[in-house]
Amino acid sequence: MDAACVRSWLGVVATRLEAERDFLTQLDAAIGDADHGINMHRGFTAVMARVGDIEEATPGQLLKAAGRTFVSTVGGAAGPLYGTAFLQAGEALGDAASFGPRLLLDALRASLEGVQRIGAASPGDKTMVDALSPALGAFELELRMGGSLETATSGAREAAAEGMRATIPLQARKGRASYLGPRSVGHQDPGATSTALMFAALEQAVLADRSHRFAAGARRRGSGA
Amino acid sequence: MIQSVGRAARILKALGSESARLGVTELAERLGLAKATVYGLLRTLEAHQLVEQDLETGKYRLGPALLQLGNSFLDNNELRARSLLWAETLAGRAREAVHVGVLYGPTVLLVHHVFRPDNSLQILQVGASIPWHACALGKAMVAYLAADAGAELLGGPLPRLTGRTQTSRDALEAELAAVVATGVAVEDQEAIVGEAGIAAALFDNRGAVVGAIGVAGPVERLLPGGPAAEIVAAVKEAARGLSRELGAGRPALPRAGA
Repeated sequence: MDAACVRSWLGVVATRLEAERDFLTQLDAAIGDADHGINMHRGFTAVMARVGDIEEATPGQLLKAAGRTFVSTVGGAAGPLYGTAFLQAGEALGDAASFGPRLLLDALRASLEGVQRIGAASPGDKTMVDALSPALGAFELELRMGGSLETATSGAREAAAEGMRATIPLQARKGRASYLGPRSVGHQDPGATSTALMFAALEQAVLADRSHRFAAGARRRGSGA
Repeated sequence: MIQSVGRAARILKALGSESARLGVTELAERLGLAKATVYGLLRTLEAHQLVEQDLETGKYRLGPALLQLGNSFLDNNELRARSLLWAETLAGRAREAVHVGVLYGPTVLLVHHVFRPDNSLQILQVGASIPWHACALGKAMVAYLAADAGAELLGGPLPRLTGRTQTSRDALEAELAAVVATGVAVEDQEAIVGEAGIAAALFDNRGAVVGAIGVAGPVERLLPGGPAAEIVAAVKEAARGLSRELGAGRPALPRAGA
């Protein structure tokens, strides 16, 4: 993955957030403050404007800029939590001009650690960690079994979605939803839902990147023949 | 203890902890009781409208009589009734949400909640319970408890709700001393990431703490490099006014430097 692929991932996230904005807000209205969709959409609109202004940047610089923009434009819990996730991922990538699945795994792990440091949430607390943690686990497992970037991101997307759905019967132990006690049961967590969306976007960006490279390779081969 | 009343209470709690409806078999399994026993209890509760049966599925849910009981519990709470006007005024002055809470064991029970006056969609948090050490309301109240009651709470479990929740007893003790010195308690994202609180204790005619009132909202607005002075002043004024209505005499009110 290179900077162009990271840009395309952020772009897919922004597009999907726009489409899912009302759904996320609706989920949040049941157990939160009814602003998750609005906040995420506003944050990513600002992120896209910011990364659009940066012409030359490494993937790490792009993610750090995204994180800082997110923290400064989004209120509530989503700003600090997602902002930290992007910042930590950017830090983990360092100055690399491009990165493979191993470095991406490190970045995902750094994101999870950052989110848990701020939110103190464990799996099962009905938070974004319930999507992020299994996605990370599936990504790592797929790599250990000899999988590629494509199969690992696909496994992560699937695990994040499963983790997201598994928040429905849980009683929230962190965040505003925990104030509701047993009344939080039966509702899907909005944070886990937006996290699952990011993994779906990651898979989409990785697959698009591969088909671009394939097409470019075919053109080179074609012109060389 | 009367066994059948206990069983009926457990049925109500089981129905209250699930948003899904429960059938006789599910309830019997959960409570470890015979189906016939559960059925008998449900029929009695239904006669009093404490539970109701869904005609299509045959499953049970909580009944309308409970809503009336819940409302009269809140209405009978004198603190809540008296706080309505002060809470509304405070929300208007601070332009933020206002919470009124009482201490219920180691947790703060929210008995009143005024929405942030900006027409945004917000959910009512009345009935929510928050660990005392993680919110401004809790710290405001515990600071004025008798020494033994305060020590008991400090010695109890202090769960971590965010990375900023204070779980060290020494640090909490120092914070409680600061509450008494300044007259307000402050919470910086200790219960929810991104959210802060500023609260002050409420006193009755004997000078005993009976609750707390406070503002809750985004950390960047409440604590812009320290507690926002105008919000601190508004919270203190609301607490003083409400305490006076609850019978607290002016001289009996603990004050900064007094």
